[in-house]
Amino acid sequence: MSEGEEGPASEPLDLVRLCLNEEVYVKLRGDRELKGRLHAYDSHMNLVLSDVEETIYVVDDEENDEGDEKIRVEDDQEIKSVTKKSEMLFVRGDSVVLVSPIEKS
Amino acid sequence: MLFFSFFKTLIDNQVTVELKNDIQIRGTLKSVDQYLNIKLDNIEVVDDIKYPHLSSVKNVFIRGSVVRYVHLPHNAVDVTLLEDATRREAANQAAKAK
Amino acid sequence: MENGTASQGEGRDPSGFLAEIIGNPVTVKLNSGVVYKGELQSVDGYMNIALEKTEEYVDGVKRRTYGDAFVRGNNVMYISADS
Repeated sequence: MSEGEEGPASEPLDLVRLCLNEEVYVKLRGDRELKGRLHAYDSHMNLVLSDVEETIYVVDDEENDEGDEKIRVEDDQEIKSVTKKSEMLFVRGDSVVLVSPIEKS
Repeated sequence: MLFFSFFKTLIDNQVTVELKNDIQIRGTLKSVDQYLNIKLDNIEVVDDIKYPHLSSVKNVFIRGSVVRYVHLPHNAVDVTLLEDATRREAANQAAKAK
Repeated sequence: MENGTASQGEGRDPSGFLAEIIGNPVTVKLNSGVVYKGELQSVDGYMNIALEKTEEYVDGVKRRTYGDAFVRGNNVMYISADS
């Protein structure tokens, strides 16, 4: 801060810092998304989230096992999604594509 | 270093490591290093019908880079403490970058 | 600040280019082919990017919008100034 060009949000990681203890949306490699509350991150984008809902998009039929998972067919396209919950989740940074705060309504 | 320290606080807890090849291994966290390589004891493979090949293995060393997630028990994590540690780490990184 | 063969007056180095377009509308393409259009808030040395008012396009079709978005640098193919 001593260089003091612009104070807040002058580097991308600041955006993530402002998400601490907030609900975030995380896009991952492999057609996965997470929604949860952010409690930790580092410069690799390793994350810890609580009360997480994971959505996995499956390109049409893989196998129709996992019968206990919710599978819904999105009406416009043949894309199925599976959702899973986790109470507390560490996410390894190399899978992360995008992090965004979820707007409170 | 933040997550290395974090995982050290979780040693002896029951965790589920989900690998990038979708295999999930549940076990007791026994050790971790700076690469976030992980040692688990008393393991069982979740959905071992689909992944039967580890059924006789008792413990594993998992290379950090193949991990996608680690599912943790909520009560083993003090989220306020974690957020404070994260802010401290972020400040340190910023200072180092100058 | 000597730049060897700085023959083109305008053509700065890549990070100079990025510094110049901060605050402007940009297009960011990822290796996966996904495209983000938004206002460039900041970039760092890893090409981590912070965008504002971002639209996400998959195969040219708008999929989502984000108020703010952090994009992890390793996924970035290019950043282009819209103008």
